[in-house]
Amino acid sequence: MIKLPNTLGFRLTLWYATAFLVCLVAAFLALYLSLNSILNSRMDDDLREDITEFQDWFTEEGLEKVTYEIEREAASSNESEIFLRLYDGRGNLVVASDLSDWEGLDLATLSPQQMDISLSHPIFETIKLSGQDYPVRIISGVIGPHTILQVGETLEKKEEIMELLLKVFAGMFFLGIPLASGIGWLIARTAVKGIEEVSRAVKDLEMGQLDRRVTVRGQGDEIQTLADSFNTMAARIKSLIHEMREMTDNIAHDLRSPLGRIRAMSEVALAESESTKDYKRTAADILKECDRLIHLINTTLDMAEVEAGVTHTIKEPINFSKLIADLCEFYEPVAGEKHIALTVTLEPNCQLSGDKQNLQRMVANLLDNAMKYTSPEGQIRVELTRSPQEFHLTIADTGVGIPLSDQQRVFDRFFRCDHSRAQDGCGLGLSFARSVARAHGGDIFVESESSQGSIFTSILPVTPSTQ
Amino acid sequence: MRILLIEDDQIIANFIQKGMKEAGFTIDHFDDGSIGLHAALTGNYDVGILDLMLPHMDGLSILDRLRVEKKNLPIIILSAKRSVDDRINGLRHGGDDYLIKPFSFSELLARVESLLRRAQHVVEPTSLSFQDLSLDLLARTIVRDGIKIDLQPKEFALLEYLIRNAGHVVSKTMIMERVWDYNFDPGTNVVEARISKLRDKVDKDFATPLIHTVRGLGYVLKGKDD
Repeated sequence: MIKLPNTLGFRLTLWYATAFLVCLVAAFLALYLSLNSILNSRMDDDLREDITEFQDWFTEEGLEKVTYEIEREAASSNESEIFLRLYDGRGNLVVASDLSDWEGLDLATLSPQQMDISLSHPIFETIKLSGQDYPVRIISGVIGPHTILQVGETLEKKEEIMELLLKVFAGMFFLGIPLASGIGWLIARTAVKGIEEVSRAVKDLEMGQLDRRVTVRGQGDEIQTLADSFNTMAARIKSLIHEMREMTDNIAHDLRSPLGRIRAMSEVALAESESTKDYKRTAADILKECDRLIHLINTTLDMAEVEAGVTHTIKEPINFSKLIADLCEFYEPVAGEKHIALTVTLEPNCQLSGDKQNLQRMVANLLDNAMKYTSPEGQIRVELTRSPQEFHLTIADTGVGIPLSDQQRVFDRFFRCDHSRAQDGCGLGLSFARSVARAHGGDIFVESESSQGSIFTSILPVTPSTQ
Repeated sequence: MRILLIEDDQIIANFIQKGMKEAGFTIDHFDDGSIGLHAALTGNYDVGILDLMLPHMDGLSILDRLRVEKKNLPIIILSAKRSVDDRINGLRHGGDDYLIKPFSFSELLARVESLLRRAQHVVEPTSLSFQDLSLDLLARTIVRDGIKIDLQPKEFALLEYLIRNAGHVVSKTMIMERVWDYNFDPGTNVVEARISKLRDKVDKDFATPLIHTVRGLGYVLKGKDD
């Protein structure tokens, strides 16, 4: 899976291994240094103890005892590990343990520095002898008047421990490289696996598999979130494409019907028309169908423009009350022809800022809708009220009403209730009205009861558009 | 009056040429952008009708050149592009009007005449008359055959619009735009209802009807002998 060094998996592995090894080295260094220091101070304590012991012997039993103990002490340990030498006040050697194993130790006399010591502060030195593999730790301390004892002990044992430790560490280090890489790779793989799964799904989606979803077994981690987001997005794309197909089908249908009529009318005219009058009638009918087509296309485009964003619409201050009053007046003759009682109650001077033409179309579409579906002698009530935040425009009719099953869909593009198919119109009026309301930060709702009438309510916010 | 038409769609061009000749204009047609520009720069025209998508030189470039070299030829842009941005862009390049395809001939004619009136600084009349009908634009009164007719303000405006375009067909869309300043399809037969009310007042009690319906196109104000 991780073939190229330029993958996230490889980088994660590398980082993990490096971090692991750095921690290992740091831990070892800490261990090594503290152990070294502990061993050193323990040896110094031993040496200091020797001096104190000899001081006591010297004070209590004199020089003979000291000389005797020097021999015994060296013999009791191993003469190659420890040596003892006694000097007089002038720095001359008085007595020493067996120095045959201590080649290179030729200090018959003490150095001035070694002479210059006090009773309480013996001095320590570490020296390297030519005949020895390991350094020697030497203490020089005063054990009595004009008597200086020097004890030297090889650091062999301590150095051996440190060497062993170093070897163990080296082993661990070289074993750690593959181990850390392995663990790192496993961790990286787990992390990257989900991403790769999503990435494959994206490719599949791109190839047109709209039903592709990602299944990641996670516990709400980031990969799970990513997978969930992807799944939501894929579902949205699927529904959008579905919607688009449906709409294309609808448009195609709505384009095809008038085109079919135009074609039929032209054929009939060519085959049967005898007088100019016949041709004229056909031409007029064709014009009507063309206007219907143009209207359909324009409305579809206008709606797309409105929905593309409020930023695109031109905003100007509008007296919404007057806009509605003018339109009601405009539609009044239609109501009059059908003997519909049109009651208009408007809160005066409702100011808002928006796209005037589109708001006119919104109100006109609602009025037109009410006029179409209200039977003669019916009633239409138009009401505009305002609350501190919103304008409520209510247009209630006593028309045929909308069945409950269709109420959600009346705002869908190209949707037409069964009883409305006989009416003129392209099924875009209400959906255009809602697009406009939404572009102005509002919305349109419908309440309706079959054969009782419908109430359309458009709610537009007073702010921010009135700023 | 001479009109220059630069349009590469032969059917649209024929349609415009035929209509304009019938309306009493002389019209020259070019279907190529650069040739059209040459004609515009050298010929003597009163108004230009310019398509935007043209071979060799597009309409906006022609406008740019025209405005640099010969500032005062009024131009109507014809275009299938109908977004607000496209319209603003066309006017910004120096177009005087912007008409969206497809359009009705009466709409184009009305706009051409309006541009010509503007270019000739025609003084606004204070009264209009057509046959036995006369409108006093200041007093807002109407007299037909010596009888005073009472009209609502919008009815007055509608009649005024019909008189101003007497003899020419005006479409429902044009009436909506010019009389009510509405740019939408009213859906129901609002304009028909309005015209019918106006007829009741202007034509009903007189022997000769003046307001006529032209099937499929719109309405026209004309007398018996027209």
